[in-house]
Amino acid sequence: MKKVSSGIKTADKVFHVATGIAASSPVLFLLAIAAVVVVQSIPSIRLMGWHFITGIEWNVGNTYGALMHKNGVTAAAGASFGALPFIIGTLASSVIALMIAIPVALFTALILAYRLHGWVQWIVSILVELLAGIPSVVIGLWGMVVLAPFVAHGLGPVLTHVGVLIPYFRGPVGTGMGLLTSGIVLAVMVVPIITATTRDLLQQVPVLYREGGIGLGMTTWEVVRYIAVPYIREGFIGAIALGWGRAMGETMAVLMVSGNAINFLPHNLYSPISSMAAVIASQLDSAMSDGSGMAVHALSELALVLLGLTLLTNLLARLLVSRTHHRRQGVRA
Amino acid sequence: MGWLLNRTSKWASVTVMGLALTSLVVGCGTGNGGNATNGSGTSANGTSGGGSSQNVTLNETGSSLLYPLFNNQWVQAYQHTAPNVRLNAASTGSGTGISQAVQGTVQIGASDAYLPPSMLSSNQGVMNIPLAISAQQVMYNLPGVTGHLKLTGDVLAKIYQGQIKYWDNSALTALNPGVKLPHQQIIPVHRSDGSGDTFLFTQFLTDTNASWANTVKYSTQVSWPSLSTGIGANGNDGVVTTLAGNPYSLGYVGISWLNKAEQKGLGYAALQNKAGNFLLPEAVNIQAAVNEMVSQVPTNEAISLIYAPGAKSYPIINFEYAIVKQQQADPATATALKKFLTWAISTSGGDSAQYMTPVHFLPLPTSVAPKSQAQINQITG
Repeated sequence: MKKVSSGIKTADKVFHVATGIAASSPVLFLLAIAAVVVVQSIPSIRLMGWHFITGIEWNVGNTYGALMHKNGVTAAAGASFGALPFIIGTLASSVIALMIAIPVALFTALILAYRLHGWVQWIVSILVELLAGIPSVVIGLWGMVVLAPFVAHGLGPVLTHVGVLIPYFRGPVGTGMGLLTSGIVLAVMVVPIITATTRDLLQQVPVLYREGGIGLGMTTWEVVRYIAVPYIREGFIGAIALGWGRAMGETMAVLMVSGNAINFLPHNLYSPISSMAAVIASQLDSAMSDGSGMAVHALSELALVLLGLTLLTNLLARLLVSRTHHRRQGVRA
Repeated sequence: MGWLLNRTSKWASVTVMGLALTSLVVGCGTGNGGNATNGSGTSANGTSGGGSSQNVTLNETGSSLLYPLFNNQWVQAYQHTAPNVRLNAASTGSGTGISQAVQGTVQIGASDAYLPPSMLSSNQGVMNIPLAISAQQVMYNLPGVTGHLKLTGDVLAKIYQGQIKYWDNSALTALNPGVKLPHQQIIPVHRSDGSGDTFLFTQFLTDTNASWANTVKYSTQVSWPSLSTGIGANGNDGVVTTLAGNPYSLGYVGISWLNKAEQKGLGYAALQNKAGNFLLPEAVNIQAAVNEMVSQVPTNEAISLIYAPGAKSYPIINFEYAIVKQQQADPATATALKKFLTWAISTSGGDSAQYMTPVHFLPLPTSVAPKSQAQINQITG
């Protein structure tokens, strides 16, 4: 047996400490961030209570006037923080994004994994991944200059005809800055994330299974429907959850195309909205000039709600994954 | 972290040590986080290097109304006056300017709004120093309408509150006889970021409309009346882009953006002043408003110049403020900052016509400049 020198022992110690620090840091960062956000939110929670989640009025108050004291905390007179429009805006825009992105991403991934080969596949894959690398501000600019006018004058007026069936599609279409445009812009950003993950998953489906299907006389669609998609279902749900988290947290692009609605809920598909992340970004600086500090606390609480929602969707996805997992085990047995 | 329990106690203790160490690091990190996040021009806030003439970096963030003057004119011009001073400018909105200057992230916070009383009282030694006179115009995108519409603050308040919805509303046609206004919905555009322009505009509406004064009031960020036809845009450039992209829209834009906005086909309004006259934001009208207000400027220079009396006074004018901390990080920075601000308010320096005219600003009145100078002299290192 090799003799253990002191040098090796030291190296081992260093290794242990280094791995200990590294391995514990993600947990600690999460805890530290959560702790800061929670502590910063407390005055706002005391001021608003549950009304923060159910209220519609967002008002920093008269920062050039007197201060008011309420529920043991100090805020600018008239301050009221109701985040419901931002919560709805975040959820609605991200769900629209997913409704567009899921089929697009799935079909793109299928083509990439099964239909394209060699250099064509290579180029298309690269292009999809490049799409993921485009900074969100660039996509936001495109959304503002190109997409919003198109939604206002092209897509929107066409979609209003569906309003006969679904009331939310009814006009007025407005300026194009709003819910639908935000959803489409988010979809553009989410598609590459879901596509790349799904393509990798599809490539892991054993060739024998697919060939077996074809051997049984299945069409291409049937192979996809009954063999490939069921095989990757868990991973696919995970990919969607990943995309959903990205869509909810996206800030800049939404800020640029959402119309920055304040104090009202979206009443149709084209209505201006605002997301939680966008509000935090656009209001933080002027919030810091609120002498009572309450505006910053309210934005912290908004961050807390966003954090909570992201965790919830993550848990929901995990739940779905484990459920399909059980079902599949049942089928196998 | 259940897996930890399966490992040896030594491994666990090492991990605990790691946790403790990391939490220390994290603790420090969160303390500084607030300052680091917005630093668009965060390069050293003080001196760098020695030598006989010390190199100093002065960072400015804030008002997008002051930005075209500061960045496009002053930065280059001051290079010749003081080659050892490096100026960085960023257009981030007055809200950012105020907060970053108060936090000490930047040396100069540019703002179209003076500091709120609560900020002045809670942050001893923060000053608002006027550098120049600026104005704001109300702009619109009305295809087929040439010339300048006549608008009042009261009508604007009603538009932004949703009481006037269409361009051919009787209140608008009554103000503009002979102008054929279309039956189209008005799209009111407001600033979504903390903005001195919002401050000026809402102050004008507060002075002219009682219901606005009772509900929305004025600030760099107000709780806009819920109006699903309206949209929020980021910065003066964002407002100009949004107005240009949306026919029948209306918004408020700082005067330094006037030329750019006119190139994009936007029109601007003649606004009714306190005396009842409709005036354009021309130099003579801005100057007239300044002349009415100079006698009232207090020592701390926090004053609204909105809706000045006088037949020829344009109603929306303001001081462009530098928000500055009295106590700077070191003597070299303080000296450089004092020198620069003194140059900026001088009519032979930053306030000379060659820099003012392209952005439609006016220099500080001769009776106000000494008050700014007195505040500048209080800066120490």
